[in-house]
Amino acid sequence: MTPTHFTISSAFLLGMMGLAFHRTHLLSALLCLEAMMLALFIALSLWSLQLDATGCSTAPMLMLAFSACEASAGLALLVATARTHGTGHMQALNLLQC
Amino acid sequence: MHPTTLMYTSSLLLMFAVLLYPLLVTFTSLPLNNDWASSHAKTAVKSAFLISLAPLSLFLSTGMEAVTSSWTWMVTTTLDITLSFKFDHYSIIFIPIALYVTWSILEFATWYMHSDPLMNRFFKYLLTFLVAMLILVSANNLFQLFIGWEGVGIMSFLLIGWWHGRADANTAALQAVLYNRVGDIGLILGMAWLATNVNSWDIQQMFILSKNLDMTLPLLGLILAATGKSAQFGLHPWLPAAMEGPTPVSALLHSSTMVVAGIFLLIRMSPLMENNQTALTLCLCLGALTTMFTATCALTQNDIKKIVAFSTSSQLGLMMVTIGLNQPQLAFLHICTHAFFKAMLFLCSGSVIHSLNDEQDIRKMGGLHHLAPFTSSCLTVGSLALTGTPFLAGFFSKDAIIEALNTSHVNAWALTLTLIATSFTAIYSLRVIFFVTMGTPRFLPLSPINENNPAVINPLKRLAWGSIFGGLLVMLNINLFKTPVLTMPAELKLAALAVSILGLLTALELATLTSKQFKVTPLRTPHHFSTSLGFVPAIIHRQIPQLSLLLGQKIASQMVDQTWLEKTGPKAIANATTPLASATSNMQQGLIKTYLTLFLMTLVLVTLISTT
Repeated sequence: MTPTHFTISSAFLLGMMGLAFHRTHLLSALLCLEAMMLALFIALSLWSLQLDATGCSTAPMLMLAFSACEASAGLALLVATARTHGTGHMQALNLLQC
Repeated sequence: MHPTTLMYTSSLLLMFAVLLYPLLVTFTSLPLNNDWASSHAKTAVKSAFLISLAPLSLFLSTGMEAVTSSWTWMVTTTLDITLSFKFDHYSIIFIPIALYVTWSILEFATWYMHSDPLMNRFFKYLLTFLVAMLILVSANNLFQLFIGWEGVGIMSFLLIGWWHGRADANTAALQAVLYNRVGDIGLILGMAWLATNVNSWDIQQMFILSKNLDMTLPLLGLILAATGKSAQFGLHPWLPAAMEGPTPVSALLHSSTMVVAGIFLLIRMSPLMENNQTALTLCLCLGALTTMFTATCALTQNDIKKIVAFSTSSQLGLMMVTIGLNQPQLAFLHICTHAFFKAMLFLCSGSVIHSLNDEQDIRKMGGLHHLAPFTSSCLTVGSLALTGTPFLAGFFSKDAIIEALNTSHVNAWALTLTLIATSFTAIYSLRVIFFVTMGTPRFLPLSPINENNPAVINPLKRLAWGSIFGGLLVMLNINLFKTPVLTMPAELKLAALAVSILGLLTALELATLTSKQFKVTPLRTPHHFSTSLGFVPAIIHRQIPQLSLLLGQKIASQMVDQTWLEKTGPKAIANATTPLASATSNMQQGLIKTYLTLFLMTLVLVTLISTT
């Protein structure tokens, strides 16, 4: 595995572990989601540089656009959770359930 | 230029100059003196009438007709439009008659509209209308005729809605414009067809080049135009509604001049119609239906102006019948004689209305024979002329028409309807005379009955002379283009007179029933049909707008808003996914950390197993 490949893969994996093992606040999960997105962005940007393929130069921009949508959806969910459950903490979500 | 043509052209030019001068004075910012209406407007029309007698006398002595083409307006590759005037038998005879009638009406209007603060504007509108009418009558090409046509239409709108504070007057003016517009569609259709197929709008060129063409489509267009402008059945409701305007407007526009514009168009274009049996039959049947229907409606009206309006409509139907008989000259004769007695009937009505303090219901008049003898005598003379009393004005044209109808090989149904309508004419004329002039007074005691003003007497006198001698004078001085059938059985010859006398006797009998109770329960259905004008306005004026509004509601509200936006569009997505989302969230336990950890573990496991 080339060093570039290793770096990007590990960055992505670390972000995913942060998303899975977040402790208290939903916002930290969303931040890790953004980190995953960032790793993917750098990967796509390097793709066309390493392989000399100019055809996929627009892919990073598209990814950025979609990730913006996804981030806004995530933030809306955060706000909705804060409105309905009072806090942004994860353990509030199943507090009053049987 | 030949001296006669020079005389014709310069007289018309002088007439236009004399009539336009008062109008141009109003466009400068000089304040008008108080009697501008009588000193400038009426005098202008009187001078124009006297000027128009010169071409008339020249025509009567030499019989020479002329066409003048002057200034070239526009030249396209296929169509030339020049300013051209036609001085033929029809325009030379009609213009003096129109100016004579207008002179009398303007003099009457100086008395009738005396208390109106905007009287000068009223006279300005009437003068503009007159100029437009003269343009229409003297036009030699359809473009110029269209200018006059639209001009009279718009002045009719402005004058019907003169008392625009009254909602009924605005509605009536709008009706006039809309029905005339439908007729204009026909005129534009005819003009477009002629421009593309015959390549000209000049009357002479059209007649020559259309000999071998099938002219049904443009003729249908022209007949539609005449239906709109001359209030034939189908486009007729605007004419009785137009009585919302002041009486001088009704006398000038809606009896003598404007409503005959449609018939005049057909008379001008009659060489195109001679050989087209479809168009002739359509004119015949439409005219017969109109004259019968409107005469029926006139029988039970109670407003004196509405009765005279329906009488006008009935006579217009008779003119249409004459055109359908291929006798345009007889139709023209009827236009000329009809102008005299119809204008006089309207002026008598105006005099009576003002005398009884703006009372228009004939059930509230009566006994005016003793109180306003001159007006009631003129009313009687006018009604007698209308019914075709021998040797008065109406007789020469109306009897000639009915004789031509009886001796021709056309539709017997049209003939029957026309004869019945002629008898109805006698009936409603006698009804008017009975209720207005005979019997005992039914109006309030302190009515300002006064007919001593010369501004009232002189116009009525002039129009009375015209109603008595007009037919004779016109008949003596013209040459008939088509030889009339001179021998017929005695019954046919006397048919018109017989049905009129029959109608008169019936009406006299019915009049005596007004003070008795003949039946315990009267026959209501025919009366309702007649009084509600055949239910045509009630149905058409409500049904069509209701359908349009319903269609609008269906498209805007139901189709766009409810269907496209709500059921199948954006809101559908929301409505479909909300149940799914709530079901999903009900199923969720909310253990997000557990779920995500398991996800990550699974991912790592799969990666490790797949790589080893």
